[in-house]
Amino acid sequence: MKRIATGNEAVALGALRAGVKVVTGYPGTPSTGCLEHLLTLDLPDRHVEWSTNEKVAFEIAAGAAWAGRRAMCTMKMSGVNVAYDALISVAYSGTNGGLILYVADDPGVSAGMPEQDTRGLALMSDLPMLEPSSPADAYDLAQQAFELSEAVGSPVLLRLTTAISLSHAVIDVEEPVPPEARDVLLEKNITKYTKAGSKICLDQHRALIERLDKAAEWIRQRGLNRLDLSDEPGGLGIVCSGAVNAYLAEGLRATRSEGLLHGPVSILRATTAVPFPEVEARRLLDHCDTVLVLEELEPIAERQLAALAQRAGWSGRIVGKLDGTLPRLGEYGLSAVRKGVEVAASFANAARQESPRAILALDEQETSVAVPLRERSETLLGSVNRNDEERGAEHLSAPRPITVCAGCPHRGTYLGIEAAIREAGLSKDEVMVTGDIGCTILGMNPPFDLLWNEVSMGSSLGLAQGYVHAGIETPVIATIGDSTFFHGGIPGLINAIQHNTPLTLVILDNGWTSMTGMQANPGTDEASQAEGSRRVDPVRVVEGLGPDSVAVVDPYDVGSVTEAVGAALFAPGVHVVIAQRECAIQARRRGIAGGVVTVDPEKCILCMKCLRVTGCPALSIRQVGSKGGGESPDGDSPDRQHIEIDASLCSGCGICVSVCPTSALRNEVAT
Amino acid sequence: MTTCDLLLIGVGGQGVLTIGDLLLRAAFAADLPASFCPTKGMAQRGGFVKVELRIGADGVGPRIGEGGADIVAAMERSEALKGIPFAKPDGNFLLYDQVWQPTGVQLGVDAYPSLKDVSDAIEASGAHLTVLRPSERPAIGGTEVSANVFLLGALLALPVMSTLFAAKDVERVIEARWPKHAEANLEAFRAGLSVRLASGESLGSSPDGELPLGRG
Repeated sequence: MKRIATGNEAVALGALRAGVKVVTGYPGTPSTGCLEHLLTLDLPDRHVEWSTNEKVAFEIAAGAAWAGRRAMCTMKMSGVNVAYDALISVAYSGTNGGLILYVADDPGVSAGMPEQDTRGLALMSDLPMLEPSSPADAYDLAQQAFELSEAVGSPVLLRLTTAISLSHAVIDVEEPVPPEARDVLLEKNITKYTKAGSKICLDQHRALIERLDKAAEWIRQRGLNRLDLSDEPGGLGIVCSGAVNAYLAEGLRATRSEGLLHGPVSILRATTAVPFPEVEARRLLDHCDTVLVLEELEPIAERQLAALAQRAGWSGRIVGKLDGTLPRLGEYGLSAVRKGVEVAASFANAARQESPRAILALDEQETSVAVPLRERSETLLGSVNRNDEERGAEHLSAPRPITVCAGCPHRGTYLGIEAAIREAGLSKDEVMVTGDIGCTILGMNPPFDLLWNEVSMGSSLGLAQGYVHAGIETPVIATIGDSTFFHGGIPGLINAIQHNTPLTLVILDNGWTSMTGMQANPGTDEASQAEGSRRVDPVRVVEGLGPDSVAVVDPYDVGSVTEAVGAALFAPGVHVVIAQRECAIQARRRGIAGGVVTVDPEKCILCMKCLRVTGCPALSIRQVGSKGGGESPDGDSPDRQHIEIDASLCSGCGICVSVCPTSALRNEVAT
Repeated sequence: MTTCDLLLIGVGGQGVLTIGDLLLRAAFAADLPASFCPTKGMAQRGGFVKVELRIGADGVGPRIGEGGADIVAAMERSEALKGIPFAKPDGNFLLYDQVWQPTGVQLGVDAYPSLKDVSDAIEASGAHLTVLRPSERPAIGGTEVSANVFLLGALLALPVMSTLFAAKDVERVIEARWPKHAEANLEAFRAGLSVRLASGESLGSSPDGELPLGRG
């Protein structure tokens, strides 16, 4: 069916045709019309919202995509800067369902803000970016972007520029396709979904680069970068990207008719600068003696072409921005195309007159030289990144997953959440508990194994909402520390409250920015604030936002956490549980006396429940390789073994006492 | 000029960073070029910690390359394995054989290496191993001396270190760091200094590479 659509609408219609489930965004010219169009439609089974900001919007889309749904997020170029913290982290993790970030750049600045070229962020992020050259192209590429995203498991950027997103054109549109009806995917894999550790992050970086290589191959096979070589070799080659393609035919006609251009012209209509179409570009280089690069804003394609030409030993001339022919500012139209063609044609014409062109042989192996080089370069990495065989004896070392410190109040919070899930008749593998940055992420490790993911500061809230909109049937819990909440969590909570998206937020408030070494944050107590600074009470902040309920509990009293979380789990609306207790290390440094737990060896039956449940580093088994004593001396009778507590670590939180079945553990009163 | 690349390894809470810090101050006081690069990641307590100290060489990067450490000193048995790739053949490897079992090991889920496994692996690298047993750490007034300062003393007993600093230089740094607890720490340091260390010749004289502690 033919209809009139703007580029923005074409993206929206393409996403509907692709069966998109969740669309989020934040308004920003020239991207606004995309989501605005969707909001005018009746879209059962899909969720469309304006979110609090672009970062929250992207996190929601990412959560839905991780849950296996197709999701899209829309914004202008400045918004990508806001979303970037989450975007780069999700890029490293990859995606399950198709995940598209639609960004509209604004060359020439029709609406204010820096004239940034978002392709630079694609390059920095190793993310494939499709650049439609017309509204019809946008409709088609929006759909292909979802396919690409799922084929390689990567978020895909879809970039329009003002001239395409705002212009109207007649396009041929097919019926929307409803989202596929399937169960929400709940994949528990902290090596994919968190960033906690060097090995995890290096493996993810390698996988990210591999996904971009796969995307390049997929794009090549689809023929998205169209190469038209002239019958006769030699002459002018043109690499043209995005909106500029619309002016190319016109510009070539004009320069030819004015006698400025003679001879053959070959054209690479590039839909991607990232990944750069190396195979097609190499064929263009081998065919031509002069290549003109036409792209708006930064010389992203041109630099990659120049690097390719250098590697290939190509000695022709590249005309573009780097030689000063064309500007890095402003929108390109017919005059930019004419200028470029005129200059490039003069070199091409001269080259033709000087000598008949010798065609370089296309060396297939040389074009793919990047891969073996990368493999070789990996041997330069330190032993941390090798596999077990390469690491020699190191693989004998015991795994040492980082857990929370002795006395850490978060321990009680995790155990309380676990108990609430259990009491609701659910298992940890069916309740999404999103994690966040800081000490709180340690809940992903044993013995808790509670948290599923970690993206960027404050992302726990957006991810949780993404799972809700994906259609998860079990309750969703978000966890965040106090400092992370102040840093980036508040917009996500506002968003959940505004859209009435049911979830439970647990704020693990220990009063300090602890993971980085106990810096003060807005919620740190008044006495520890710098001279002239004052405390911002997180409880009042949360209450001021107006969630459906707020409960403040003490995580040393595990039962109180369980009760508060349990009450929130199935209640409609947004519920916040604030587990408040100062960081144990910091409390000790400040001279706040804790207690100490002692063991009655007669009563200890070595059931190890305390160890298994709490994983507290102050607990160990005496005389079976206890921390202070090296190996077990020979001749010890097994009945002398019992749980031992390192008094130098114990804060007397008493959580182990509460799980001991024989009352062998006792909490001594603080002195 | 003599140079020394020293890799210190342990877990958070053992005082590994403090050893590095004291040596850095000693190098500063002795007007030696030094680079001190601590890596503690997210560890508050109980996580992997390492320090790379490069003393005596100017204009070098902070990291020690594989096979480049003149001395590797480890304060935890299992973590010591991570230092092996960095040990220089014919260099020194000090293992303070403390066992700090991760919870997974205590629960019987994960394996933990024996002292023999670790010693064999270290010796296979060609480094000269000295094992210091925590149980033989001297006590002063009923309290065991601080393990990290004890190990610092043992480090100063190595020729490559003692050509860089005199023990006195380090003692002054210790006094400045803990003015109120100088005596106890100096005792720990001197106890370490008097440890008998493995050399190329004595290597293999003891079946598991372990040598008894000397008492000063």
